[in-house]
Amino acid sequence: MLRILLLVLQLAFLGLLYLILFGFARSLLRDLRGAERMERASRTGIGRLAVIESPDGEPPVGRDIALGAINSIGRNVNNTIYVEDDFVSANHAMLTFRGRSWFIEDQGSTNGTYVNGHRVERPVALSYGDELTIGRVRMRLER
Amino acid sequence: MRITWRRAELAMLLPLLLLVPLGFVLTHVAEAGKLEPGPLGLALGYLAIMAGAHLVLTLSGHRGDQLLLPVVATIGGVGLVMLNRLPQDLAGTSAFGLQLGMAATQLLWFGVGVVAMLAVAVGFRDDGLLRHYKYTWAALGAALLLATFVFGKEVFGARLWIDLGPVQFQPGEFIKIVLVVFIAGYLAENRALLTGASARIGPISIPPLPYLLPMLAIFVMVMLMVVVLKDLGTALLFFGIFLTMLFVATGRRSYVLIGLILFVAGSFVAYQLFGHVRARVDVWLNPFADPSGAGYQTVHALYAFGRGGLFGEGLGQGLLPSVGGSFPAVQTDFIFAATAEELGLVGAFGLLALALLLVFRGLRIAMLAHDDFSAMLAVGLTTSLGLQTLIIVAGNAKLIPLTGVTFPFVSYGGSSLLASFLVIGLLLSISHRAARVAEPGAP
Amino acid sequence: MIATNVRRLALYLLLSFALVSAGLAYWQVVDAQALASRPDNPQLVAARRSAPRGSIFDARGKLLASTEVVNGVAQRTYADSAFSHVIGYASLRFGTTALERAWDDLLAGRADPNPLRDIVSDILDRPPAPKDLILTVDQRLQDFAAQRLGNRVGAVVALDPRTGAILAMTSTPTFDASALTGDSAASARAMERITAAKDDPLVDRTRQGRYPPGSTMKVFTAAAALDAGAITPSTTFKGQPRQETEGFVVEGFRITEHDLSPVQPALWQLSEALQVSSNIYFAHVGLELGADAFLDYAHRFGFCVGRRIGPPDHALTVDASYVTDAADGDCSQFSDRVEVASAAFGQAQVIATPVQMALIAATIANDGTMPDPYVVADARTHAADPAAGPSDEVLQRYASGGGTRVVSSQTAAQVRKVMVDAVEGQLGRLYAGQGDVSLYGVGDVQTAGKTGTAQRGAGQAPHSWFIGFAPAEPGGAPKIAVAVIVEGGGSGAGLAAPIGGQVMAEWLRLEGK
Repeated sequence: MLRILLLVLQLAFLGLLYLILFGFARSLLRDLRGAERMERASRTGIGRLAVIESPDGEPPVGRDIALGAINSIGRNVNNTIYVEDDFVSANHAMLTFRGRSWFIEDQGSTNGTYVNGHRVERPVALSYGDELTIGRVRMRLER
Repeated sequence: MRITWRRAELAMLLPLLLLVPLGFVLTHVAEAGKLEPGPLGLALGYLAIMAGAHLVLTLSGHRGDQLLLPVVATIGGVGLVMLNRLPQDLAGTSAFGLQLGMAATQLLWFGVGVVAMLAVAVGFRDDGLLRHYKYTWAALGAALLLATFVFGKEVFGARLWIDLGPVQFQPGEFIKIVLVVFIAGYLAENRALLTGASARIGPISIPPLPYLLPMLAIFVMVMLMVVVLKDLGTALLFFGIFLTMLFVATGRRSYVLIGLILFVAGSFVAYQLFGHVRARVDVWLNPFADPSGAGYQTVHALYAFGRGGLFGEGLGQGLLPSVGGSFPAVQTDFIFAATAEELGLVGAFGLLALALLLVFRGLRIAMLAHDDFSAMLAVGLTTSLGLQTLIIVAGNAKLIPLTGVTFPFVSYGGSSLLASFLVIGLLLSISHRAARVAEPGAP
Repeated sequence: MIATNVRRLALYLLLSFALVSAGLAYWQVVDAQALASRPDNPQLVAARRSAPRGSIFDARGKLLASTEVVNGVAQRTYADSAFSHVIGYASLRFGTTALERAWDDLLAGRADPNPLRDIVSDILDRPPAPKDLILTVDQRLQDFAAQRLGNRVGAVVALDPRTGAILAMTSTPTFDASALTGDSAASARAMERITAAKDDPLVDRTRQGRYPPGSTMKVFTAAAALDAGAITPSTTFKGQPRQETEGFVVEGFRITEHDLSPVQPALWQLSEALQVSSNIYFAHVGLELGADAFLDYAHRFGFCVGRRIGPPDHALTVDASYVTDAADGDCSQFSDRVEVASAAFGQAQVIATPVQMALIAATIANDGTMPDPYVVADARTHAADPAAGPSDEVLQRYASGGGTRVVSSQTAAQVRKVMVDAVEGQLGRLYAGQGDVSLYGVGDVQTAGKTGTAQRGAGQAPHSWFIGFAPAEPGGAPKIAVAVIVEGGGSGAGLAAPIGGQVMAEWLRLEGK
């Protein structure tokens, strides 16, 4: 009697474990489909710049700037990305997407362009997560 | 403040209300021989901890992955049921004037681990601390490792423990995290600059120096661990994590191949030179040569698997824990064999599937991460849990030589549990930031 | 790009988990049965701890081994330490040995002698039903033999040459098997004591003792040479009388005689040569027989391969005996003629177990056919109260397979005659006089026999041997054949022959002659 009872309890335990597993598997599959959609969506946008620090508030901290293939950065309002900061040159830098990578090129600015704290001398490839410093404005390249 | 309910998380946590107490009851019925619920305090305490974690995540508006916590809670629940089933005097604590048995001590560590996880998941809003100070972290890891070399205490033939008066801890568990942080930082920083450039010797492309140097450095560190600490399992784990992260960063199988060749060559030399390595390997190749001596643990683990069969001997009815009076390391290295005996192949597959789910969740977080560093970090952390599970399970089943690493969230041990929960905390925080970035108009 | 690599990584990890799962499936399902049947698997140990086990009785139903289950713990006890070697022990800690091992499946009730019943029990999932065993060994003779050996180190094997039924099989020193059955610390201490004791009490000398047979080997040489036609009972060797004193030079090696006094060397025929146990005469016989024929007959007599006692699936194993160097585990060629000549009188590389020598005696006694030895007479249903004797329900009888013809009936008769002379002839009495069984109460039957004094290294007393059978009247059927060895017991006539004679006499007396 006890043996049968134990067997039933054991099977109940295992069954419950597999029910939980089944639940997880279902969520996983649903997420997988969701992830595909999200990836398809993100492929249309090639990246964005997240503003981390901006003493003069333009662009404001926390803004995500959607990027095109060619982006000019500077204090001149005709730039794709307009930055209001006394330490930024009128035409400061070019941020371009070529092939599979992002590149940053300084346009002969007075105070220079920095990637992760290193001054950029020639076009440099960026990876997602790299930090750009232009004047006193810090921005991060994100997917 | 508008509360965003974590509905999926809650839905997947609910079945645990049944599973964990059922495991406790089953164990008690098998031991007492009559139908009565027995003490359920620990099971309820465990459920309370997990419910608390869910509540904190919800109230703090956490947007991180909702399946991580339930998967971990399920694995940990099965683990706690197993630890509760073992003799409670195998380990324990008498801290704070309390006399706690093994399962109760583990529950205490579950509490500590979950608090640490929540602190990291909720409090870690900026990853600059990890990203920018990677060399500081590397130095910290090196210091911990050095401390183990110097002050380490040998247990079961491996020098894993550091004794700090009342507290003992396994630095290897934490070095693992620090190592992942450093490698992620290093690879993320150098990735874009370096992909492409590589020398070739015949069909094999040689990694450029910035990859080769850390690879050699880590290889040397790992070999030192094998020789000085005699900790084969952690050495294998570290090297595996590094190679995996290198592969993900560069996409080159050849680097992994070179790393593996290095490792095999190093292992071969270690086999030739060092008795403790040779002993491990010989036992692995033929444990039945000395079934009551060197092969004792391996042989009895295999017997336990065999007895388990498809559906198991039943919780609380396995023989492995009582082999030879008390089977050594059944609560740590051999917890999987004991589980497989009592829950059978079905239960063992379930546990492995849960671990695999955890890995998939972690990798998904990596794919959705908003920058390369976070992605590499998530890959490394996930791999550390996945590989560790693989190494200990394969070691139990005599597929590779047995090494003394823990089964994350299942094996008894505070260091392991705390480190594993820190990993989950980091993963949660990464996925939280990714979710924030992904949603337009997020603050 | 990272996303692609992560996806690949996920695939690799999935494969690794699948591989590990396949490994688990192998141990938990495919190989589970093989693992479960290994003797040190705690599953078996746990099952044995509480499982009843069949009893073992002697030929007349005297209880020798039984298991009592008290509070769910099975306690096995052995009644007679003279049986410790042949029955062995069934220990929770040390596994099983001897008959306890060979018949474990029936004793534990895992198998039924009838395979059909086996299948039915399997289907109905019946609890294991232990079976009892009845031995061919008679406790009275076994105890008598053990008592004759006393505290000397040695072995006695006695069997019925007509059937192969083992009548006594005892080895000294012995040990208390009951002390080893538990898995407590007490059992471990008992085992430590036993293994630490001198003269290896755990060794069954009847089956595992391998000794140079000395002159008892001449019985084999005589039978082989007569059967091959190399000699007749009246063959003489011209140079032999002179060589008895001067030595017989074979390929530059001088073979010398043992101390023949008080007999003076003469031109001897087979009978006299066996009575005085002339090494020179038998060296000639060996050379006359030749190396190839010698090896051929050695194989026929069961040298060179391990032997089994009982049916193949329940056999007690006996270590192999050899006539040449056993280095490669089989009888290799003789290295030269000197080795052949020396092997003919039981020296050189010849080693034999007491079981082997008893079977040589039994072959001569049984008209040249070597009986298949067996020690379990039948298996019966388990008797609920073993103290009251075995049940009457016999499940299966085991008997000899009829034996193997080794030498012709005529050869056997000729060897029987010279073996009778060796204990009862005029010269034989001078040598084996004390082994003459007529001195011990069965004076009206003839006895055949041969003593042996197996030389060992310098400074060590030789092993004392005797093989023989009785009654040995021409044309009659002997009822018992024996082999006796006393380690370091000196001359064969001194110790082994009297014990052999007494054991045979005791058996004839018990059997009412």
